[in-house]
Amino acid sequence: MNSETRTRREFIASLVILVVIAALPLVLHSVYWLGVLVVCMYFAIQSVGWNLLTGYTGQMSLAPAAFAMVGAYGTGLLSYHFGAPPAVGIPAGVLAALVIGVLLGWVVLRLRTAYLALTTLAFAEILRLVISNSIEITRGDLGLNVPPLFDNRIGWYYLMLGALTVVQIGVWLLIRSKYGLYMQAIRDDEIAAASRGINTTLWKTVSFALSGAICGLAGALYAHFARLVSPDLGLILQTGYVISMVVIGGIGTMAGPIVGAMLVYALSEALRDAGGYQLIVFSALVIVFARFAREGCWGLAERWLAPPRRAKEGTT
Amino acid sequence: MMLAADLLFQGVIQGVFYALMAIGLSLIFGILKVVNFAHGEFYMIGAYAYTIAGTALGIPVWLCLPVAFAAGAALGWVTERSLMRPLYSGYTDWGGMKDEYAIIVTFGLSLLLINMVDKFIGPYAVRGPELVDVTRMQIGPFMASGQRIVAVATGVVVLVLLLVFLRFTFWGRQIQAVAQNKMGASLIGIDTGRVSATVFALSGGLAAFAGGLLAPIISASPDVGLYIALKSYVIIVIGGMGSIPGAIMAALMLGVFESFAAVYISYDYRDTFAFVFLILVLLFRPEGLMGEKGRAV
Repeated sequence: MNSETRTRREFIASLVILVVIAALPLVLHSVYWLGVLVVCMYFAIQSVGWNLLTGYTGQMSLAPAAFAMVGAYGTGLLSYHFGAPPAVGIPAGVLAALVIGVLLGWVVLRLRTAYLALTTLAFAEILRLVISNSIEITRGDLGLNVPPLFDNRIGWYYLMLGALTVVQIGVWLLIRSKYGLYMQAIRDDEIAAASRGINTTLWKTVSFALSGAICGLAGALYAHFARLVSPDLGLILQTGYVISMVVIGGIGTMAGPIVGAMLVYALSEALRDAGGYQLIVFSALVIVFARFAREGCWGLAERWLAPPRRAKEGTT
Repeated sequence: MMLAADLLFQGVIQGVFYALMAIGLSLIFGILKVVNFAHGEFYMIGAYAYTIAGTALGIPVWLCLPVAFAAGAALGWVTERSLMRPLYSGYTDWGGMKDEYAIIVTFGLSLLLINMVDKFIGPYAVRGPELVDVTRMQIGPFMASGQRIVAVATGVVVLVLLLVFLRFTFWGRQIQAVAQNKMGASLIGIDTGRVSATVFALSGGLAAFAGGLLAPIISASPDVGLYIALKSYVIIVIGGMGSIPGAIMAALMLGVFESFAAVYISYDYRDTFAFVFLILVLLFRPEGLMGEKGRAV
């Protein structure tokens, strides 16, 4: 099975999952659980964005939550100071995250692996500290109040689902195009990719920018859902959640981030009543998956579900 | 002028604590070429071990420091044996993404430790028992809290012992040999697996020791290790990854720089300077101040 069919199969599976999610409100009437699923989708959008950058382009970033925070503040500041409607604020938030993504991508162009991770972490912390200390503009840790878009949960549910679907289709179209191949080539061997004439500088920056914009979109939408924008959105812990979700779901796969976000967040809400062990279970799972099952839940499921194949040539 | 001298003094004190943390990270990088993103949690575990040993178990205060060291060392050893093995060789799953594996797995460990302490001990801050009964101490023209002076003096003693260990003992030389050339070291019969386990234990022990030393000054809470770990990452990059003298120098520099910047530039932004510094160093001198030339970044 070549990687193209594999990606297509994963994408179709992810669409099936999205359809199941779309049908859930038919049987699920609890307002609380609809809210939980909206937050799941907030994390799922961020996970898809982080997976594009780290799973497909191989650039280890520890800043996805910071981009979500930028998106949220983009719309939050416009609405708080100028009374801008969400229809203006949300695109502005996405644009802000895109611009900051280009900036970060450009700053870290020469860095790899641990250095890249440390720099993106430092960048995320600078952004968060600047926002929480610029009290005259951002009200610091008090946060900004922003108006909601809908009064009912169903509206939110389908808005988030729509955003997630658009992002997922967009990422798939990118990954199956030749530009997506460029990115995967950079992940697999940057020097070899450059030697075949791929403009690695350009495509790494593009990947940073797109991943930033996707996370920014998640943050901007979530700001209006939560009605409050605060620097806590950009905590390292939030980045930890996103990474956990992608690793548990399956890093570098199409369906993994969505499966991971849904599974991890919904499960952790269910475990909350059973004594609050959710975060322990979930961080232990990250270690177990990273150590023993690199491809995550999705990879395991694929291995078990796939029909037995004929002996194939040299791959494992 | 007096203020400047005082700031310098406070900065050096802070720098010694940074050095205790950063050297452990630097040792690990020297051997395994990875950054341990759970380093701050070893510090946190040390602070709790010290506090629990001193208050709940009633162990004499000065014996609590070795207890903290032992707790961190044990955790470090277990981490290396259970999670770092795939970095050695023949771990096909992550293939060329070894560094990504190390980052993700230590990040997960960090989340796990924070949440376990948060759940089983509690999210509130606890203050460790005091090492000495002196509140204020005067050394020449400088005034500082007695706790701080005693802690920093102990820290300096440990740093010196560590340098002697690395430079003059059989074990220390094995560590240096593996850091310089892993293949060569294993060819002359050094068990590189055991050396990297030792280094992880030593590094965890040092971080936990720092946690214990600072527990009477900075109360322990589940996320107490976060900032001191972030600063240590900055320090090892500035000093040059894997370089011990570089780490000590950069730690002292950062301590002094922060102490001045908090007063002369901005107190609110005191934690951002280190990160700005990190980005500038990586952009303009990626090998660090004392790192080996031409390293791949």
